Amino acid sequence: MKRLTTLSVVVATLVLGGCSSSSSTSASTSGSTELTVFAASSLTAAFNQIGSDFESANPGTTVTFNYGSSTDLATQIGSEGTADVFASASGTAMDTVAKDPGVTDRTDFATNQLVIITPTDDPAGVSTLQDLTKPGVQVVLGAAAVPVGDYARQMLDENKLTDEVMPNVVSNEADDASVVAKVNSGEADAAIVYASDVASNTDVRAVPIPTNQNVVATYPIAVVTGSSIATVAKSFVTHVTGSQGEATLQQFGFGPPPTG
Amino acid sequence: MYRRVPLSFVVLGAIGAAFVALPVLGLALRAPWGRIVEMLSGPGARTALRLSLEVSLLATVCSVVFGVPLAWILARGTFRGRALLRALVILPLVLPPVVAGVGLLQALGRRGIVGSWLERFAGVQLTFTTAGAVVAATFVSIPLVVLSAEAGFRSLDPRFERAAAVLGAKPGYTLRRVILPMVAPQLVAGAVLAWARALGEFGATITFAGNLEGRTQTVPLAVFQTLQTDQEGAIALSLVLVVLSICVLVALRDRITGIQDRATGTG
Repeated sequence: MKRLTTLSVVVATLVLGGCSSSSSTSASTSGSTELTVFAASSLTAAFNQIGSDFESANPGTTVTFNYGSSTDLATQIGSEGTADVFASASGTAMDTVAKDPGVTDRTDFATNQLVIITPTDDPAGVSTLQDLTKPGVQVVLGAAAVPVGDYARQMLDENKLTDEVMPNVVSNEADDASVVAKVNSGEADAAIVYASDVASNTDVRAVPIPTNQNVVATYPIAVVTGSSIATVAKSFVTHVTGSQGEATLQQFGFGPPPTG
Repeated sequence: MYRRVPLSFVVLGAIGAAFVALPVLGLALRAPWGRIVEMLSGPGARTALRLSLEVSLLATVCSVVFGVPLAWILARGTFRGRALLRALVILPLVLPPVVAGVGLLQALGRRGIVGSWLERFAGVQLTFTTAGAVVAATFVSIPLVVLSAEAGFRSLDPRFERAAAVLGAKPGYTLRRVILPMVAPQLVAGAVLAWARALGEFGATITFAGNLEGRTQTVPLAVFQTLQTDQEGAIALSLVLVVLSICVLVALRDRITGIQDRATGTG
């Protein structure tokens, strides 16, 4: 009986201790600050770099990233509200967060275009957008509502290729990174992903899509309303939109933010 | 006999029970009850439900066809490495499903050890196909058949086999007509558990077979994708799996835990 009581005290301490420590990190103004950034999975490589740059410029601050489909992340922010900064691959997902719980300092900070990727040995012979219509080409897209999937569908629509390409689609993946993985492993013959995905990936072959056939993805970033460290969040946004952030983004294959 | 439970146990036990019950309660409370029938009979949901049924039943058949003989070998065979073989067969039960999917890709994918061979000589591709979803579901559910069937075989009195042999029955006949009928309850329990596991399979399926409506998008994958745009729709689909899971538990009751409830049991 005595030991059981001890056990329950230990458990209670752990539970309560867990609560108090997490609330103290988010409320602390000095010492270590933990900034939580929710970002589109296409930003993974670039933001990992930007994150460590930001950490070395701001000693005591740790940046934690949660990457995923922007649409998913927007839903998570709405229901959980744990993000300080949201960087989205689409304006639509940002609009969702802007409605609930709200955002400040919203800025478009980068653009991206689409490319076709194939395995390095290109088993299906894909060298143009039209080649995706060839019978038997196994094409992977992002799912509808996942930004990379929506942009790809929009592009196919604008090129009047939807009816011919859709029958070749063998999988609708949950996020951009999963789309790339399906071609990386050689399972799919081709996929439509962001140009930034292939800037640092030598495991796949990139087929550029001419600008007149392409669409431009615009990436907004903002401080999420309710962040307990809004000042730090704002300085992260400033860092991303500043010259150093922009240079890093371009190094990882992103285009400059839209003008005007 | 009523025995006092220490207060600390009551508190911790209550937290434990609430922890398990709350998510289920959450689904039930947030479910769009008014429109649930309409939502589940929509074309997207219907396709996913039908495909899930098809995939999980086929996976159960495969698990039984390959798992029962394996269980028999493990129960009756005397050979070196039997314990190792058993551990290997049970591995999918504890393996993270996404790892199972990556492993399946290396083995049966288009560039996999066996998969590349399958494609070249038989023209068979498993990834992105319903067959691939069945493979993924079978991989995770076969251990449940093996475990349950082996326990059944081991609990049999070997004298029945000897008696059958003395009466002139050949081993195959004895197995079919004497042994399998006697372990039928364990086989059924194993098959039902395997079916439930196959029905809920997500990670190995999306990694190995992909996600395409009508071909590989089973209910768990549909839940995951629907959640992006339509939380109520995702909850409605989730509830189907909750209800089916509860049905499995009710059907098997004591057989899963091996515990007889004193209040209702006879032993």
